[in-house]
Amino acid sequence: MSEFEEWASATYRQSHIDVDPEDYALIASIYTGIISQLNALDHIDLEKFPAVGMDLRHAPKSS
Amino acid sequence: MSHPQDWTLRQQAEALRRGELNARELLDVTIARIIERDALINSTPVIFEESSREALRQAPAGPLHGVPITVKDMFSLPWRAARNGTTIDLIPAGASGPYRNLRDSGVVVVGIANQHELGLGSTGTQSAYGPMKNPWSPQNCAGGSSGGSAAAVSARLVAGSLASDSAGSTRLPASYCGVVGLKLTYGAVPYDGYFGAATTFSAPGVITRDGGDARLLASALLQRPLPQQSGSGLRVGVIRDPFWSDADAQVAAAGEQALRSAGWHVIEVHLEHLELAGAAFLSRLMAEAGVPSNELLATLSPPTRSIVLAGMLAPARFIPRADRVRGAIRNSLAKALHTVDFLCWPTTPAPAPALDESSVNLPSGRVLTDMANVRHTLLSNLTGVPGISIPIGLHSSKLPMGLQLLAPWGGEARLLDAAEHLERATDREFVDLVPPLAR
Repeated sequence: MSEFEEWASATYRQSHIDVDPEDYALIASIYTGIISQLNALDHIDLEKFPAVGMDLRHAPKSS
Repeated sequence: MSHPQDWTLRQQAEALRRGELNARELLDVTIARIIERDALINSTPVIFEESSREALRQAPAGPLHGVPITVKDMFSLPWRAARNGTTIDLIPAGASGPYRNLRDSGVVVVGIANQHELGLGSTGTQSAYGPMKNPWSPQNCAGGSSGGSAAAVSARLVAGSLASDSAGSTRLPASYCGVVGLKLTYGAVPYDGYFGAATTFSAPGVITRDGGDARLLASALLQRPLPQQSGSGLRVGVIRDPFWSDADAQVAAAGEQALRSAGWHVIEVHLEHLELAGAAFLSRLMAEAGVPSNELLATLSPPTRSIVLAGMLAPARFIPRADRVRGAIRNSLAKALHTVDFLCWPTTPAPAPALDESSVNLPSGRVLTDMANVRHTLLSNLTGVPGISIPIGLHSSKLPMGLQLLAPWGGEARLLDAAEHLERATDREFVDLVPPLAR
């Protein structure tokens, strides 16, 4: 069992989710793709991205 | 006399109002046409022969009284639970908010529009009912996730369909099938009984054959008029990279030609932080997907199941940063939409791939179809603004191409003005194209 499979299966067990062992290869591949995209968020300058309230139905109030 | 499903939604509604067309006969010939044609495209796997006749008997007088439409599997109906492209009843039967609005205009729901499983795909190749096929070429996909809606309208099974759009799911299949797909502003209609209520990205949409029909159906869905104004002389903002520069050459050329035909003022626009849009979108999307039940997981196809399970593992620590980026992108989009009337680029960077093909050829290389497509459509979902896809002709592969326009929040009427202006400027050349299946 790979390190990823060990960690993932423990996470799923916590949520009482049954996973077919054959699914892990595809899950790992998709997860790797997700993380490679999300990592970009670690490099943002928080000063340039202030936390703002959002009402998605309307334009931002500051605009 | 031609078949009424070869008419527009407006023509059907008008003929019914004048008494030139009988609503019961329209329903009967619509059901007959779905049965006759749908085996090739699998757009409408469930037909409500009895429920639709009962609904017609109770249909109120309204602008669409007696007009048959299909509804995506994401909306609950009084006689049918929403299954979201699976075999499980996920939202109990009942009158969902979007359904109620349409019902009050007099429409009759004749069947369920097939869709990509859980809405998690832009091809329409995974569904409990089997893949949706493109009326222009049944070897190619119809798109997703609202592939059944787009295929049915393109094949003239119905003239309108209720769709939804969490990452392009109304606009993408509309582009692939050569029809009009309008995604509403986020939160513009009641969301009860609608799967989109679970995310901050989703909005209902309508799929029709032209802008006039989209105006009529969207107006019924929104329960407010969408007054028509001139679509000429508008200022269109163009973001070249990556939306035009990394699109199939014929798709980009058709888009450029459409802009020239419309005579709009083209202005180059730079959208600050656009390069982070995908990460912000993905972070929230995975969090909002939630934890599935074992019962549901057991029924899903391996690709959909793996997406759901991989999403469960995405670290939550990215979410606050994703929300900051989302806020910043909403600000930069609002700023851009102060200087232009709408933004515009190809809806899909390439035409519909073959059913067994998971990637498309772009100038940047071979790219997974879902990644390529969602890159072009997610901005509307991330920010909440409405968007539309309009047909702009056929690729040399004989498959349709589409142009996407994004307007400010609440700007559905402006998008429709632009769509109808382009139709007039091109003598309806593209919206009146008929797929081989429907000739």
